[in-house]
Amino acid sequence: MTPAISVTGLTRRYPDQVALDDVHLTIGAETITGLLGRNGAGKTTLLRILAGQEFPSSGSVRVFGSSPAENENVLRRLVLVREDQAYPDFAYPDFKVRHALRAASLCYPNWDAGLASSLLEDFGLLPGKAIKSLSRGQRSALGITIGLAARAQVTLLDEPCAGLDAVARQIFYDRLLAEYSDFPRTVVLSTHLIDEAAALFENVVVIDRGRVVLDTAADGLRGMVTTVSGPVLAVDSFTEGRPVWERRGLGSQASVVMVGQVSGEDRERARSLGLDLTPLSLQQLVVRTSGRSGVAGALTERTSA
Amino acid sequence: MNTMIMVARYHLVRPVLFVAIPWATLALAFAVNVARGGDTFRDGLAVFFCMFFVVGVQRIGGWLPFGLALGATRRSFYGGTALLGVAMSLVSGLVIAGVQAIERATGGWGLSITFFRVPHLLNGPWYATWLTSFVGLSLLFVYGMWYGIVYRRWGTLGVLAFIAVQVPVALAYSWSGVGGHLAGLSALDLTGVIAALTVVFLAGGHATIRRVTV
Repeated sequence: MTPAISVTGLTRRYPDQVALDDVHLTIGAETITGLLGRNGAGKTTLLRILAGQEFPSSGSVRVFGSSPAENENVLRRLVLVREDQAYPDFAYPDFKVRHALRAASLCYPNWDAGLASSLLEDFGLLPGKAIKSLSRGQRSALGITIGLAARAQVTLLDEPCAGLDAVARQIFYDRLLAEYSDFPRTVVLSTHLIDEAAALFENVVVIDRGRVVLDTAADGLRGMVTTVSGPVLAVDSFTEGRPVWERRGLGSQASVVMVGQVSGEDRERARSLGLDLTPLSLQQLVVRTSGRSGVAGALTERTSA
Repeated sequence: MNTMIMVARYHLVRPVLFVAIPWATLALAFAVNVARGGDTFRDGLAVFFCMFFVVGVQRIGGWLPFGLALGATRRSFYGGTALLGVAMSLVSGLVIAGVQAIERATGGWGLSITFFRVPHLLNGPWYATWLTSFVGLSLLFVYGMWYGIVYRRWGTLGVLAFIAVQVPVALAYSWSGVGGHLAGLSALDLTGVIAALTVVFLAGGHATIRRVTV
């Protein structure tokens, strides 16, 4: 089966920086992928290229097997609402939420008007409100509404939760999952609220300074990295011969970040040694894989092995 | 073609914006003219034409990013926008021709006003006025679109450079005496020249939008 998205050797250079550097990526159809990384890592540039809004400097991008750039067949089946989405409100201050929704309804054959209005209601967003006067979070809510109600086969969500309150974020997660199970589609979601969204992801892609540092199934990551803490000698004996990312000591206590699955036998032994085992959360994993060389490589080898 | 019509409909989600801006400006200019007791003040009609340029700029500058976010290609966005602009010019030209006929029949609204009649250029039979205004409005809309595209692609500096490039062309035009030659043309011949220029601008905008990013 053709993957929904396949990216090979993708590089995007700007005069002052390399936004994407030799990116290789395959995203299967009907999956939810978390696109993670720091600000300026290249996430939005990647999404823009996937949506044909930006052009690659080199490399190839395929969506449903074809290049998305200026390709109506692909673009009609794809939606990208950006975090910094520009609406016509710049030139026309009275461009309202409902105008944006009507415009979107013209462009997407599967547009679900009922879903759009129920999302607006959930987010407490009034259709008659001028887009110019929306707050950060309300703009995000509008972006989510368009992104989900479009029911596009490829749904790219760039930082959809920016500025949303906790209740609205939960609404988004719930609605996304419900929509996804009703109408499965390929979702790529970039976010900084990693642990909150972690349960949604089937795959996780971490980008750092334009490079993919991690690309793996989310399941494979759970419990893959563990913090072992306790008395120095016990920690050393437990982690001996295992790949270790980081070691911290404080007097007679030590804390070591260890890579590899922990077996039942290991747990038993840890307990008898008086050690504390804490699995690293996805967010902590991203923090540790971003901005540090060598670390992610070890993990990628591990998870693919 | 389908997507071009989709883009045209996208522009019309708020039809009042597309239609009202030029006509409100024209109505205002006309009201000022009447208030002044019917002095010959033809600039009002020129303002209406200029508004088509402004709308052309805005339709690219303001509406392109969201259009592309909704899955339009640059090509279809450009084609659909131009199509709508040309259609608007066609209708507006007809309205101008109609209003001009009324102006003529009422002796300049009873005040000897020649607001909708421009000597030499827009002063012939209704169909000539229609054709000339249609072509003129289209030219300004398309020219405005081109500016909007240049702005999207290269920003304010790009627009300044774009203007700077055209200055020598304009100078060459006036020095070469082509200007005097054009003035000697009939309104219909001039309309032909404007139409040819519109096609050139349309092609220029099309070439420029191909690599625009949002």
